[in-house]
Amino acid sequence: MNLFAGQQWQALFEARALFAKGLGQTVVTSALALLLSLVIGAVIGALGTAPWRIARAVNRTYVDLVQNLPLVTLVAILFFGLPHLGVNVPVFGIGVLCLGVYHGAYIAEVIRAGIQSIHRGQLEAAFSQGFTYVKAMRHIILPQAFQVILPPLTNQAVSLIKNSAVLNMIGAGEMMNVADSWAGQNSYYGPTYLLIWALFFALCFPLAQWARRLEQRAIRARGQEVQAR
Amino acid sequence: MKRILSSVLVGVLSLGLLAGCGGSQSASVGIKSDDPVIKKIQARGVLNAGVKVDVPKFGFRDIKTEKIDGFEVDLVRALAKEILGKNDDKAIHLEGVTSKTRGALLDDGSIDIVAATFTINDQRKTQWNFSDPYYVDNITFLVRKDSGFKSMKDLNGKKIGVSQTTTTRKAIETEALKQNIAVDFLELPGFPEVKAALDAKRVDAFSVDGSILLGYLDNNTMLLPDKFGPQEYGIATNLHNTALAKVVNDVINRMLKNGEMDTLLKKWGLK
Repeated sequence: MNLFAGQQWQALFEARALFAKGLGQTVVTSALALLLSLVIGAVIGALGTAPWRIARAVNRTYVDLVQNLPLVTLVAILFFGLPHLGVNVPVFGIGVLCLGVYHGAYIAEVIRAGIQSIHRGQLEAAFSQGFTYVKAMRHIILPQAFQVILPPLTNQAVSLIKNSAVLNMIGAGEMMNVADSWAGQNSYYGPTYLLIWALFFALCFPLAQWARRLEQRAIRARGQEVQAR
Repeated sequence: MKRILSSVLVGVLSLGLLAGCGGSQSASVGIKSDDPVIKKIQARGVLNAGVKVDVPKFGFRDIKTEKIDGFEVDLVRALAKEILGKNDDKAIHLEGVTSKTRGALLDDGSIDIVAATFTINDQRKTQWNFSDPYYVDNITFLVRKDSGFKSMKDLNGKKIGVSQTTTTRKAIETEALKQNIAVDFLELPGFPEVKAALDAKRVDAFSVDGSILLGYLDNNTMLLPDKFGPQEYGIATNLHNTALAKVVNDVINRMLKNGEMDTLLKKWGLK
């Protein structure tokens, strides 16, 4: 059997609406999950830099717990486990929730590290000018940290999109699920997975490139700052 | 490219197989043939067959003894006897397959034949050789007892869990049209996932061939009386191995005619 026979590509082309729907599902799921992970990451990351011990403990607990669990187990527990507790979140919600919670932990680390990379003197100077902790964060630290945070944040977005393929296991209807179901029906695995590669690459590569550019810009900016000191 | 991709797809599985088949034996008194594929099997002295390990009566692995046995395993034995002239279990190497892996394992030559509740259809016939059908099964539904469903009609507007790589979904869609009801689907990678989804009330019914569902029947679940979409099981071989396919088909037809098939079906309580 030829893995790449012409009629397989033909069949794939005819099924394009199916794959377009899968692509849409991947994009929407990833976008919402990214939003959730940014909120979680911002809150948990900020707690990690807070001057209060309990806040830092919350940060460590969350990050350690989530970063040391495989995403697959998180998905399985929520999908198969929650209904037994009487909570029935639809498949789509489980997908967004899992990716958001999972990447939220990584983004929290990115944000914490970004904030901590800003020199202590900045905070002390703000305090000396009568800023409160929250105000100093908002007006002095975060705007500077943002430049440091953005490149790794973008890389997290890339990771998140790639990890959305895991949702195949709960039949989330995203690209990987569509591909597996369709190729499973007719065994046209060759063209199907090549298409999925191409689609994932088309989603992720521009983001990764953008992250690289941001990083270079950040390095240049920091370099000038160091020289200015 | 073709080689690279196919080995990526099933690389892990074939590695497991390589470890499995050692010690080749000299060719013995099997069928006479000049076909290179049959000669290769005879030189190897072992018929590599893909069978189910989770379908009671067809191909099922005993948890205690770890041995795989069933109606389809007996068919493999009959084929090994024809090709290799030997009737002992050393002449067969059984590879547990799923609906997802069986086709790919045939394609890359890891296994010679598949006897694994493999439904014959026109589309699949363009990809593999199938023997004439040796068993006809019907699609039905496994539901939770507490759900109160009595027949397929009750599944109107409900969500049905099916496994990817099965012919079930299409058959249900056709039947639903006939019964003038609408159903929703959740496609999961394998049967155990669908059963877990049924237990978790993620889906209202688990649907596939009745024989396969029997393996998942427990105290909390029951089968609906509906039976539709007859699924004809055939033994599959690689599309290029036409000589092997002919031998397989001849054996199956002989068994169907001389009553051996009936005897086997009775032995496994399938008739």
